[in-house]
Amino acid sequence: MNEKKLKQLFAAARQEPAPAPPADFAADVLRAARQGPARQPEAFSVWDHLDGLFPRLALAAAAVIVFCAAADWGITAAGYPGINEAAAQATSQILFSGDDL
Amino acid sequence: MNAPDDAELLQRIRAGATDEFAELVRRHQARIFGILHRYERDAQRVEDLAQETFLKAWRALGQFDGRAPFEHWISRIAVHTALDHLRREKRHKHEIRFPDLGEDVLDWLRSSEEKNEPAARDAAEILHRALEQLAPADRVVITMQELEGSSVKEIAAVLGVSGIAVRVRAVRARAKLKRALERLSEP
Repeated sequence: MNEKKLKQLFAAARQEPAPAPPADFAADVLRAARQGPARQPEAFSVWDHLDGLFPRLALAAAAVIVFCAAADWGITAAGYPGINEAAAQATSQILFSGDDL
Repeated sequence: MNAPDDAELLQRIRAGATDEFAELVRRHQARIFGILHRYERDAQRVEDLAQETFLKAWRALGQFDGRAPFEHWISRIAVHTALDHLRREKRHKHEIRFPDLGEDVLDWLRSSEEKNEPAARDAAEILHRALEQLAPADRVVITMQELEGSSVKEIAAVLGVSGIAVRVRAVRARAKLKRALERLSEP
């Protein structure tokens, strides 16, 4: 799409006439104005908000998983016990700590 | 006897002659429909948005200080109404609502030659499709600049940003629009 064609497109689109207001439009507006706020913008439910946030939440969750996996790999590569091993050690300490008593 | 100007009408409305608001609507309705039609192609929705625009103006009449013409003020309200509408549409958009583009207009879009410009309706339809791919604020910048002929200062005032921000956004939005048009023309 070159600049000349884009300008051609804008020029043609500018020529399109807008729909004409209905004959009783002004009277309808006046009636609605006197009745109070007749047409409120669509209300958003909690699900709509979650729907809007979904890509960000999904990305954040994926980032946390990648971070944990990278941290585990890094710790293991450095010679420290990995997360699985550390968790197993911690569990055994909790479960079998009574044996020492 | 001359018809009262907008300032006189507003004075009468504020003094309690609320019927005069209908006259104010009649004077500016064509322009408001014209602005809103740049953002929404469905005539019924344009009418709904126009009503929303005039109702917002009605509720905010006390804030109109008369420093700028009423026409400019109501036009800004219309663009804000359109912007809100685009943001709502962006959240709820799940499917393409328009029929496929015709072959003639697709040929024009795909052709690298300088052919005759497409029919107004086709051009508006293509632009609308491509503009749907842009962020609502980008769309407002392109529409105001290229279709409404608004100045950078006017666009900046509507969006509440600096003139430089408008120029930067306009360049980026134009590039995005070109890419969107190229995607539309892909078989």
